[in-house]
Amino acid sequence: MEPVSFLRRFGLMVGLVLLQVLILNRISLFGYATPMFYIWFIVRFESSMTRNAMLIWGFFIGIVIDMFTGTPGLNAACSTILALLQPKIVTLFLSKDRRDIVVPSRDTMGGGPLAGYLFLTTLVHHTFYFIFRSIPLGDWTVLMAKIVFSTLLTFLIMLAVGMSADRSDKRRSL
Amino acid sequence: MRSLLDFIVKYSYVFLFILLESVSLALLFGSNERQRMAFMTSAGRFSGSILEWRSDVKSYFGLRRENEKLAYENAMLRSRLNTVLDNIEVESLFSRIEGDYAVARVIDNSVRKDDNYITINKGRADGIERGMGVFDSRGVIGVVMLPGKKYSIVLPVLNGRSSISCKISGSNSFGFLEWYGGNPYMAYIVDMPFHTDVNPGDTVVTSGFSSAFPENIPVGIVESVEEEQLNYMLRLTVSLFVDMSDIRWVYVNTHGQDPEPEELKEELQ
Repeated sequence: MEPVSFLRRFGLMVGLVLLQVLILNRISLFGYATPMFYIWFIVRFESSMTRNAMLIWGFFIGIVIDMFTGTPGLNAACSTILALLQPKIVTLFLSKDRRDIVVPSRDTMGGGPLAGYLFLTTLVHHTFYFIFRSIPLGDWTVLMAKIVFSTLLTFLIMLAVGMSADRSDKRRSL
Repeated sequence: MRSLLDFIVKYSYVFLFILLESVSLALLFGSNERQRMAFMTSAGRFSGSILEWRSDVKSYFGLRRENEKLAYENAMLRSRLNTVLDNIEVESLFSRIEGDYAVARVIDNSVRKDDNYITINKGRADGIERGMGVFDSRGVIGVVMLPGKKYSIVLPVLNGRSSISCKISGSNSFGFLEWYGGNPYMAYIVDMPFHTDVNPGDTVVTSGFSSAFPENIPVGIVESVEEEQLNYMLRLTVSLFVDMSDIRWVYVNTHGQDPEPEELKEELQ
């Protein structure tokens, strides 16, 4: 599988940022759950990327989202953490013989492991996100509700996209 | 020495992570309110123009509703005009009103957060200044907080820091309109004198005591009256006239704006 070109990655980033700030940020189910699908960008980092590149891209998409939402550093902090942990989380769900260059997807991992992977990445990101956003920590129940509902919502969207993306176009890497 | 270099190269990403994370957290926790607002670049050119584009697209779908609102306002103004026409010459009336209000479009808005902000597509270039009142045909919306060059951030009623001087229509007892999060249709009037004769169903309007709003801009309807025994004040629950989740076009009160008293007040505090 070819490494993803800079332009293509940049294009994906612009698309996800626009989707996030123009549409998804308007959604607030029950006042708690906002889907943060933009982390799809980090979720799909292929393992051939250098860790430095992952961190820089992760930081970059976070800070751009922050520019729109008026939360300096919030998304940047969380997406950088996710970019650091992403390679580790992938290996948790890969069988030992598949440690070669791989984009996390249903084809490369299988449906079950992909679901686990998507859930854990979302949970990690959203946990940091809502903790950072709520400091100083006040109401624990509200915090937990926000983490749980938002994680579920983002996870379901990513799962739907992840399960259908490769079927329609097997050769595309993104 | 060589192995040290190898080590540094191999784990350079750890240093990079620490650097990027420090930058993020410094931005997140280190910035004061003013820097935060400056970063809030929905007032900046780049994100502002994209948000404005979204608002453009959305406004096409809302034209019908907007028309209804305008027609309603027209009808109301017309009936009001009829009553004043008898007393005032029309020409002098219009020369007085002209230039009092700037019309702006809301390009970004939230109601569900604890601290909501609104972005409008007019800024210092259009004569917008900090402290100017913002309202629409239905009533009070907020006060300009951070005027950018082309866009401005408005502190709406639905923000914990908002406090707008109000009174009961027809009386002279006044209090402050505040909001404590939660329901975006309800706010509170606090510090209203104990002896005020006020009942559920009364209309709340701006007092005109602050320079932000002229007198008698509608705010909402009193839902309930609570007596606060502790400080001998009344606390009114007010149902707001403006559905803050549905605002497109707003007026900014550019007339009679005198920022100095506000700044003085801030310095005194």
